[in-house]
Amino acid sequence: MFRLASLLIVTVLVGCNRAPDKALTIAVNAGVEGTALKAAAKEWGEAHGTRVEVVELPYANLFEKEQLDLTSRTGAYDVIMLDDPWFPRLVEGGNLAPLPHNPDEGFVPSCLAVCRNPFGSGTYFALPYVGNSQLFFYRQDLFAKYNLAPPKTWHEVLSAAKIIGTQEKMFGYVMRAAPGNAVVADFMPLLWAFGGDVLDTSGKPVCDSPAAIEALRFMVELGKYSPPGYAGFNADEVSAHLLQSTAAMSINWPAWIAAMDDPSKSKVVGKIGFLPMLGERSPGVGELGTWLVAVPAGSKHQSDAFAFLYWATDAPQMQQAALRGNPPTRRSLFESPELTARFRAFPAQLASLESARPRPRTPLWNEIENTFGIYLSKANAGTMDPAEAMHNAAREISQILQRGQ
Amino acid sequence: MPALLVLFALSLYPLIFAARVSLTNSAGTFTLANFARLFQDRVFAVAAAQTLIFTAVALTIEFALGLGLALLIESLARGRVLFRAGLLVPMLLPPVVAAVAWRLIYNPQFGLLNGTLRQFGVNTSQLTWTSGESSALISVILVDIWEWTPFLFLLLSAGLQAIPLEPLEAARIDGAGPWQVFRDVILPLLKPTILLALLLRAMDLVRIFDQIFILTQGGPGTATETASLYIYRTAFRFSNFGYAAAMSFVLLAATMLFSRGLARLVRVR
Repeated sequence: MFRLASLLIVTVLVGCNRAPDKALTIAVNAGVEGTALKAAAKEWGEAHGTRVEVVELPYANLFEKEQLDLTSRTGAYDVIMLDDPWFPRLVEGGNLAPLPHNPDEGFVPSCLAVCRNPFGSGTYFALPYVGNSQLFFYRQDLFAKYNLAPPKTWHEVLSAAKIIGTQEKMFGYVMRAAPGNAVVADFMPLLWAFGGDVLDTSGKPVCDSPAAIEALRFMVELGKYSPPGYAGFNADEVSAHLLQSTAAMSINWPAWIAAMDDPSKSKVVGKIGFLPMLGERSPGVGELGTWLVAVPAGSKHQSDAFAFLYWATDAPQMQQAALRGNPPTRRSLFESPELTARFRAFPAQLASLESARPRPRTPLWNEIENTFGIYLSKANAGTMDPAEAMHNAAREISQILQRGQ
Repeated sequence: MPALLVLFALSLYPLIFAARVSLTNSAGTFTLANFARLFQDRVFAVAAAQTLIFTAVALTIEFALGLGLALLIESLARGRVLFRAGLLVPMLLPPVVAAVAWRLIYNPQFGLLNGTLRQFGVNTSQLTWTSGESSALISVILVDIWEWTPFLFLLLSAGLQAIPLEPLEAARIDGAGPWQVFRDVILPLLKPTILLALLLRAMDLVRIFDQIFILTQGGPGTATETASLYIYRTAFRFSNFGYAAAMSFVLLAATMLFSRGLARLVRVR
């Protein structure tokens, strides 16, 4: 009898303490971009009595897990965090749920455009959470020392790299040219500045145009002022050179700004200046790398998931995310006196974000980027002439597009 | 019956499923297009050739070093346990940890290797290791040799210890020198162990993925692209599971042929 009574008491207690019925599972990037969303999810769960489970995945695995979940409609995730180049692939086949209502006007337009399918004009399927776009990092102290104005064009960068590199016994420039995303990300601003592109408006490859070949020749020339072995570099090697004061300039992402001014990591605290991307024949355009949040069509808690999405991207929550290190996607936050006093690169970040361009909006971008990156990497490694590399890349991209039809 | 069910669930079902995926297009109809594409795909040809080079070079060196070390340490009168334990350390490290450590070691400007060489007055400005088109594959092979030679050493040591003493003593009494003892007595008796060690290591080498993924991601260009890396990208980055499955079957067939070739080479039935 005593045993039965004990069992009943335990059952009642367990029943009283069980987790709330409402639940959300959120897939986030295991990195600084995901940290803020993770904190927001916890706060949301506590405020709304919702059990929130956050699945943190490294960048390399996040796409594949999300892709598998979306295509098989398992409903494993209720909210997903996705890098904007993945959006055209993930939105295919109705795999993402459309937003119940359009977002407000407070977001930077370039960030909103990548949330629509078709790009820029269609239905909204996501909201922008992290406002990433490339910036130009340069040693403002060394530019002042040699009476150089902050660069406005890529040829000014080349001239400055020669002067600073020779005078300071350091590398005038540092870039990353490991195959895949790394080299493509560093090449796109050059390509656009020289008037080239990967695909034209009809989706045909044009990366073998004279402008594109000239852009690659320029990249290889700039590579002469980069550390040997840059053809295998990724973001961490580039940033290590800036942080250790062994290189004077580079293209980089906002995620590295904080490290530049962190005395425990940097020998160049306060010495790095940040500029929106530089131009050449065309105005400067950086690559957009906005992190989005979306709800899979297979989610079984769509109502809660959308409520979380709107809440997390609203101005007060995004301000919290900005304080945790995420660049916002709302103009008002970039212009907030409180935040600009704390984040000195915000004016440059906003200017960059407003003019930034996304990678070509095709579901085949991952494959195109891989092929394009291989040839860019070969040209930078000195094993293929830039013209040959671009002709080969255009031919293979054309084959990828044909197969995809 | 339970054993059959386990075999079906773990081995046959994934194989049948992969075969189906490789032989159907996105509309679900039968096609040989994925296998036909293999003959036109230059990246796959490069990746397959490099996998073969990687496997052959790493296996040869690891085997020679493993056997040499096993013979050397077995001949020691003292300290065998200490040497054995020390030699096993690289193999005990998770491959990802070892690859990250080597990525730092190979860094041309800040890495331990070039730093040490500079201390000895070596000009390291062109020593770019994993970042150089011509040096990248060699650098990755060196990491594999460092990490997996102990595995061959371990297996071959066990094989040497299992050899009975009588034939060795008989050969020595008959006047055989150390080389003759090794060639005519130790080597024939060690053949089954050698075959096992080579097969296990070769199968692992053909699948090489983690070290290259972390050290070079297949670059610069396609200098270190291997079949497994390309299959992974095709499946999980390009979402083309059919073509990835077709490549996997070719890799499986190549591994089986390679194993058969090895068995013939060592002449063990």
